[in-house]
Amino acid sequence: MFVSFRHVASVLGARSKPSTALVRTSASLPSTSLRPQSAIYVSTSTNPYFNLTLEDWLFRQYPAHAPLLLLYRDSPCIVIGRNQNPWKEVNLRVARERNVPWIRRRSGGGTVFHDLGNTNYSIHVPRTSFDRAKTANIVVRALRALGAEGYANERNDICVGGKKMAAVLTSACDRHVSGAAYKIVSGRAYHHGTMLISTRLDTLRDLLRVDKPTMNAKGVESVRSPVCNLVEANPRITHEAFVEAVIASFREEYDVDDEPCMVEETPEYVGDEYFKSGMAELPGWEWAYGQTPEFEYVLKKKFGWGDVTSTIRSKHGIILSSTSTLAAATTASSTNIQATLDELGRRLEGKRYGFVQDAEVLSDLEYRSGDVAQSEAGELWRWLKAEMSA
Amino acid sequence: MNVEIPYFARHQLSPGGTWISSRQKSLRTFKLADIGEGITECEIIRWAVKEQSAVQSFDPLCEVQSDKASVEITSPYDGVIKQFLVGEGEVAKVGQGLCLIEVAEDDTTHVESTETTGQSPVKTPVQVTHDVAEDTPTEAPPSVNVPLRKHPLDPTNDLSGTATTDHVLATPSVRHFARQHGVDLAAIAPGSGRDGRVEKKDVEAFISKVPVPDEVETASRQQEDVVVDLGRTRHGMWKAMVQSLEIPQFGYSTSLDLTRIHGLLPTLNAHIPAHFLPSASTPSSPRISHMVNPSALYPVPQPPSVPESGRFTKMTYLPFLLKTLAISMMEWPLFRASITPAPAQDTNKPTLTIRPTADLTLALSTPTGLYTPTIPSAQSFSLHALASRVTHLAYLGRQVPCGLTVKDMPRRGGTISVSNVGAIGKGEGASPVLVPGGGVAIVAIGRAKWVWDVSDEFYRPNDDGMEGERRLKIDVSWSVDHRVVEGAELAAFVETWRGWVENPERLIAVAT
Repeated sequence: MFVSFRHVASVLGARSKPSTALVRTSASLPSTSLRPQSAIYVSTSTNPYFNLTLEDWLFRQYPAHAPLLLLYRDSPCIVIGRNQNPWKEVNLRVARERNVPWIRRRSGGGTVFHDLGNTNYSIHVPRTSFDRAKTANIVVRALRALGAEGYANERNDICVGGKKMAAVLTSACDRHVSGAAYKIVSGRAYHHGTMLISTRLDTLRDLLRVDKPTMNAKGVESVRSPVCNLVEANPRITHEAFVEAVIASFREEYDVDDEPCMVEETPEYVGDEYFKSGMAELPGWEWAYGQTPEFEYVLKKKFGWGDVTSTIRSKHGIILSSTSTLAAATTASSTNIQATLDELGRRLEGKRYGFVQDAEVLSDLEYRSGDVAQSEAGELWRWLKAEMSA
Repeated sequence: MNVEIPYFARHQLSPGGTWISSRQKSLRTFKLADIGEGITECEIIRWAVKEQSAVQSFDPLCEVQSDKASVEITSPYDGVIKQFLVGEGEVAKVGQGLCLIEVAEDDTTHVESTETTGQSPVKTPVQVTHDVAEDTPTEAPPSVNVPLRKHPLDPTNDLSGTATTDHVLATPSVRHFARQHGVDLAAIAPGSGRDGRVEKKDVEAFISKVPVPDEVETASRQQEDVVVDLGRTRHGMWKAMVQSLEIPQFGYSTSLDLTRIHGLLPTLNAHIPAHFLPSASTPSSPRISHMVNPSALYPVPQPPSVPESGRFTKMTYLPFLLKTLAISMMEWPLFRASITPAPAQDTNKPTLTIRPTADLTLALSTPTGLYTPTIPSAQSFSLHALASRVTHLAYLGRQVPCGLTVKDMPRRGGTISVSNVGAIGKGEGASPVLVPGGGVAIVAIGRAKWVWDVSDEFYRPNDDGMEGERRLKIDVSWSVDHRVVEGAELAAFVETWRGWVENPERLIAVAT
């Protein structure tokens, strides 16, 4: 069953405050009537919202002292880290054109691209025995068993090297085949990552190429690394083979016998409270945009009537302030224009960055100072609007 | 970042976040604990609570982010969040205070001392600070609780019961409840909770079953003058002090900057070798995969066996100060010297005997009196070995009767004595007394405290408009035998010592 996952970001309620409830307490976690049945889970659903919620459900519900493995694949989507800035990490224009959604996950780290050529693994362990190197090694062993010369580097990213790659590479750099992130709570921790088997790397590059050097953002910036697919090292590697190899490696490491539990979006899961609220929260504006840390964007443009420098500050997805300064004006009515620009800036305060309607900003503006200013403000607004949705 | 904490003036809080005496509530600094994985700093993403709101222990407090890990931090205490010390979007280093939590406390002060001499126990004060920093709730809540170890001289201290209570599982709020009602958790264990945890209802049930004990009989009021003997150990101190008048002594005080070693302590603590850790604790998992065995080709040498009394979980400043002192002594033969004991009628000129090793004497205050065990050849001990030896000596000293033997306290003592008066109180500028046989010098080490340093080294403008730097300092006071040592020599020796203490990284170069 293919569920459409366009963003349902709401434009209403522009002044909503960021919710601290999004740091979830065990009291605020939704209730669930389902119980995990196995230490190994494989999802056959490719709905990223479902899979992320499944991962979170297993993280909170599985007994804290026992290790657990989850494997899944998603249809094409971009997944950003818990504390990242979507406008800085994702090329929103290209994403919209290609109908690829982006999602904020619950663990930290950087931005990755998921598609059916990219398999995700998630290893959950008790917090006291959490060791990044050890969990990375489980995957490295699986790769070796598949005939690829995998290894973990000092950041515990998984790479492949080897003779086959040497012809393709310059200098001494091996390429990454996996990105990873972690989440740690009081009793439990997980290490999850992607494994590039046969992903569309060109799509990956287009979607993650963002050129906004004047956007100064807090939060975590992705560390860009050259990547390659596993099939370049061994053409026979498939999603199924990788899944089997990781399960075997996991079993060996933790001495686990469980049969893998195959999961899909059955009514049993989708009807459960936990899944319903989790899958609703992820695409919502509050989580997707409202968790963005503070940033400042400085933009410059030359219009026919003068040069403008605009500075927009935003936190938690809300515009804190927007100031536009006019310089080198070519018309006599520059003070009028500046006044209108100031008014435009004031109207933007408190609105959701990237979601402001024309009417909210431009209505009644024309009565202030005649049509001339209206058209300049309109031009500026159209430009700002385009920049904010890129 | 705003560092004003208005509570300080009223509550006289020592910046290390240690106890406030005899108040109903105490304000504790909750520090960013060492999350492990070599993480040294994190960004606060989101506070889950507001200032002035109440929290229970294990409630999520905030979410922090470090490189690729997102970590949820829960509250170590029941209490009220009084103030955030780090805001959302700001970065905190491991060991830095995250927020202030006001916790309801009972009235017993942490330490009561009935002795007012210069000598004091070897236990270092900073242990308490690190207990607070280490409060990451794990599966076993006993580690969350700040150990309420009473001073050995505290007349209310019951030495026998403490060991077992530590092994009972209970949340801090249950412990507090039990303490309030004078209930020893060891008497209730195991409780009705998961894994034998003692719950609040177990304590309540215990209270209702046990009849309230009668009021402890107050000692009958003294009506007239009473004559008591000094006791053997106190008489020994009397004699030594009378003899000490023969020694012309001069004093010298300074403070050492411990900030750099303070920053290294998390790393040192994370890498305590397994043979020094208590047998019950699980050592941090080795980075190397279990698949590779270093002994495969040839057996790895076994580490020396360490008695349980010599095992520890945390490094403190004292072993570090002892180690650096011993290294400095190797550079200064004068401080490895003692006055050659001369036969009574000998009228030859006095001579000094210089030894090849740095022998240190510790002044140990115990329930049975003041003892001075010696650590011979301290320069050959590693930091961990010194910590182990100090822990072991302190353990022996705490036993009743005293576990220290003549082997630990040889006639030929060390050439420098070390006394850790900072463990008792916040006194500044103690003047220790050098006794015959105590070597050429004695140093009293105070309590580490955070101060704002605006000396030229740190005084500079920066973006926040703040000048100066927050540094951890410890006062040291010397008393030295002026028959043997000049003032300038001591001052120079202390500067040598300072060179090691304030630049601990130098130890890497001399590691053998």
